Amino acid sequence: MSDELPEDYDLIVIGTGFVESCIAAAASRIGKNVLHIDANEYYGDVWSSFNLDALINLLEQRPEASLRNATYRWHDRSTSTEPISPSHHPWTREALLAKSRRFSIDLCPRILYAAGQLVQLLIKSNICRYAEFRALDHVCMRYNEEIVPVPCSRSDVFNTKALSIVEKRLLMKFLNGCQVYNIKKCNDDTLAFRGKTFQDYLQSQRVTEKIASCIMQSIALSNVNTSFEEGMERTQRFLRSLGRYGNTPFLFPMYGCGELPQCFCRLCAVYGGIYCLKRAVDNVSLDADTNEVLLSSAGKTLRAKNLVCAFGQVPSQIASNFGELRYNISRAVYITAHPLGGEELNKGGGGVNMMRLLTDSGDRDAIFIQLSHYSGTCPEGLYIFHLTTPAASNDPADDLSPFTAQIFQNNEPEILFSSFFTITSSTFSHSNTSPIFCTDAPSYELDYDAAIANARDIFGRIYAGSEFLPRAPDPEEIVVDGEDPSALSEHNLPDDLRSQLHDLEHSTQLIDIGE
Amino acid sequence: MEDYKFLFKIVLVGNAGVGKTCLVRRFTQGLFPPGQGATIGVDFMIKTVEVEGEKIKLQIWDTAGQERFRSITQSYYRSAHALILVYDISCQPTFDCLPDWLREIQEYANIKVLKILVGNKTDRHDREIPTEVGHYFAKQHEMYFLETSAKEAENVERLFYEIAAELIDQARSKDGSSAATTAAQRQTDSGSIGLGFSSLSAKAAQSNCCSGLGLGNNDNASGTVGSNNTSQGG
Repeated sequence: MSDELPEDYDLIVIGTGFVESCIAAAASRIGKNVLHIDANEYYGDVWSSFNLDALINLLEQRPEASLRNATYRWHDRSTSTEPISPSHHPWTREALLAKSRRFSIDLCPRILYAAGQLVQLLIKSNICRYAEFRALDHVCMRYNEEIVPVPCSRSDVFNTKALSIVEKRLLMKFLNGCQVYNIKKCNDDTLAFRGKTFQDYLQSQRVTEKIASCIMQSIALSNVNTSFEEGMERTQRFLRSLGRYGNTPFLFPMYGCGELPQCFCRLCAVYGGIYCLKRAVDNVSLDADTNEVLLSSAGKTLRAKNLVCAFGQVPSQIASNFGELRYNISRAVYITAHPLGGEELNKGGGGVNMMRLLTDSGDRDAIFIQLSHYSGTCPEGLYIFHLTTPAASNDPADDLSPFTAQIFQNNEPEILFSSFFTITSSTFSHSNTSPIFCTDAPSYELDYDAAIANARDIFGRIYAGSEFLPRAPDPEEIVVDGEDPSALSEHNLPDDLRSQLHDLEHSTQLIDIGE
Repeated sequence: MEDYKFLFKIVLVGNAGVGKTCLVRRFTQGLFPPGQGATIGVDFMIKTVEVEGEKIKLQIWDTAGQERFRSITQSYYRSAHALILVYDISCQPTFDCLPDWLREIQEYANIKVLKILVGNKTDRHDREIPTEVGHYFAKQHEMYFLETSAKEAENVERLFYEIAAELIDQARSKDGSSAATTAAQRQTDSGSIGLGFSSLSAKAAQSNCCSGLGLGNNDNASGTVGSNNTSQGG
């Protein structure tokens, strides 16, 4: 096999982030000839997960287009006023770095609704075979400066000591009301809240303050500005995802969210997509006659009918067409030796937990994710805390300060390492005639709905009418190309092969019947 | 549900053109594919074998061509029980790259993964790597070693059967820390969930029905969830 890249493609995709990988897989899946490259030596671009060494390297680099305002700090034990008890593992900087490879730290961590768009897409396309997940152990909320579990299942509601019997009834009643709510068939009760906020509706339902904050913070994932319709839709999404895989309606990908783009890349490769990391693009131009995209890379000219490019990897020559840089998400990553919350939230060495935080005024929110070693993203005995909020400034630490104050207020955990950075985006809008498409940077969302919508949209513009990631057949169903076994003369075969052929034919028939 | 006791994931790595796909095809289909060419749409192949009286399902994963420009996804290595590192005995560069592959394996694969070094193409008369050299390298890096010819079907069955036998031994040994366990055990231990290998899962998802998607209770201390889908058969 030649080590030279072929020159002609239907589609070249630059960047192996989530959206680009979705598009590459979808194009390859419908038979398009795809080249997928990335200037980095790793998969995932700004959607990737990094070991500790690699994360620090990344933060120390001069600012990239997609990652800005990066800082990090070691909280050396020597500066701590706390005495080190002998039972504690001495997590020094060296001890952490020695376990660097056991970390898988996401730049853009996400939580998946068990019945959400991504999970549905993974199952529908059969890409789920490349990934494993962990059901979140707990959804938490902050109430009276304590971190308490949010009851998720019916049995949770019954068993929890955090709610009184009256509160339990109110919560169940409210959730049942949300479940039967239908935007097209509003009754008079709900019709009155059209155009109002979800908080207005909550207040009208005469629930207690505790239940109201439980629903606002963690179930409807809203803030004071969330509309009634949006809040109801989010509550329903939460309820739909319950009871599928675990005790909570959420999943987290094992080894971090950086695995997910790779799953799509694998599918793309299985369908013939060519992969080449560490491949920078020097220039991009358009062939005036054919409207094809010409790409020069490592002294070679590559040609494609269409180009999809991650916003962070746009070659500088055409970067000016791609709009202005915007601060999009403010992020914090902490490594600690203690989980957040009490034993109930951290059975067996720590939970994979999620908590949504609201500022006191309720107009800004953040997502907090705690990962223990059960998620495959850090060594046993350590915890990763991810904090994410929409960027309000170019100072991520300042943007997050109301939330860090909330989580560290009464629960001063032993912080070993902290880091802040900003994920950027651009204001690019696509012109209808150009064969060049730029994907969106990660936005502030819990799941991948916006990212999938972006991938679908670009795919739809390039390949109108084609199905987006239809189910890939299972290995048992595949008759390998050009070697349809029935085409071979059966009588020329040795006995063992003949019997195999019969087995194969038999299994093919079974599939036909099954369908 | 099919009747098998264990399910093992075996992945192949090594330079392009060393015969990885040929080894898999020879073993699973009894074929030696003529000519070189990427295998479109083939993700992994499955063969059920009987070893020591047990039915074992082997899921054998190929690189999907991503090794061509050294761009294999890390997720390819995750949760593999055995890893076959292949070189071509008639091509020195494929042997010289072995340390690079080992680095990648160390970084992403389970520490306790069973590693086998395979020198393929013993049918060729222009051998460049003597058997002892391969053997020595394997020994140095704590790997099993075998020379094969996918073309002549030499040692191919033996390779996979020995892997199966070794993985069963590991699974049976009381040492719970071994890499190979039954799929069900593995899931409970790590608490991870597959969203479903079988075509059943897609149907179940469409119908909003949970059967086949692995609903689990969450009663044990670590809060783990068992899936009934990718787990072992009856």
